[in-house]
Amino acid sequence: MSWADFAIITASVALTMLACRVIPVFALKGRTLPANAVRLLNLIPPAAFAALVANDLIVLDSWATGAWPAMIPFISAALVFVVGYKTKSLVWCIVAGVASYALLMLV
Amino acid sequence: MNRSVFTDGLKAALPIMAGYIVLGLPCGLLCQQAGMDWLMVLIMCVIFYSGAGQYMIPNMWLAGNPLLSIILSVTLVNTRQMLYGASLSRYCESVSKRLTFLFGATVTDESFGVNLARFENGGWDVKRATVVNLCSQSSWAFACVMGALIGNLVSVPTAIASFAMTSIFICLLCMQKVTVTNLITVGVAVLGVLLCKLTGLSGPAILLGALAGMFAGYIHATITKPDGARRGERS
Repeated sequence: MSWADFAIITASVALTMLACRVIPVFALKGRTLPANAVRLLNLIPPAAFAALVANDLIVLDSWATGAWPAMIPFISAALVFVVGYKTKSLVWCIVAGVASYALLMLV
Repeated sequence: MNRSVFTDGLKAALPIMAGYIVLGLPCGLLCQQAGMDWLMVLIMCVIFYSGAGQYMIPNMWLAGNPLLSIILSVTLVNTRQMLYGASLSRYCESVSKRLTFLFGATVTDESFGVNLARFENGGWDVKRATVVNLCSQSSWAFACVMGALIGNLVSVPTAIASFAMTSIFICLLCMQKVTVTNLITVGVAVLGVLLCKLTGLSGPAILLGALAGMFAGYIHATITKPDGARRGERS
């Protein structure tokens, strides 16, 4: 990644992130958001995280190299789902995901 | 700054800091694999500071996504921060603008959870909460920079480093409430991503999938919930 690409990406996401973090704190100061806005904002996490997980797992080209390599992310993801549901811990999910993925690659 | 303010904040931040060390190392490593040096990683930690976002950027870059797609997808994921700001604003009514800005600009998923619990229990203020945020950010930046430096010395397959990010997103998905609306949102988002990939729209797949999921969830919530039931929604 060149410095130019880095600068464009980082400056853009930093500005939008700052706006998302700071504007509500100053704009609301105790007032509440409109119900429709809250409803929409509440849907962002499940929609975004589901899309991100799906984007990582659905790699159409991976099946060309065989069923087993393509199945590894799905098996590890299933394990992480169980760990995540039980513990809600980011750390344990990373440990379970990375360790299982590495082990399955050795099989 | 009063010494007790700092020690109270540091004590509250310690569990987050430990977690960020574990999360930050693979993030820095992934950034290094995407061609970032330690200074880029440090700058990103200081001015952007987002776990999910900082994992997404190198991963999407390595997958060959265009810049606009990366920026829009990361921005979409980070709009959830508006909820945190809206929720915490009530504690900033008698706080200076400078401190309010610093506090608001350094909130994360984890520090929001820790601070909100303490605000609600009482005996907590924005100064202490800001110390929590800044200590957490420091440990995150340290771990990411270390990860980027270690990445120069050791070789870890990109697929394994990337799966750390997938694991984070799965965990964050598991933390969502299990409601019919959320299940519809998740299902349509996954289908949206699949359809995008099948039709060759891999670049904007995350953004389009997530928007499709939100749209479906919003329609379902609006149809099934009468107006009166909306008053109890979180803000």
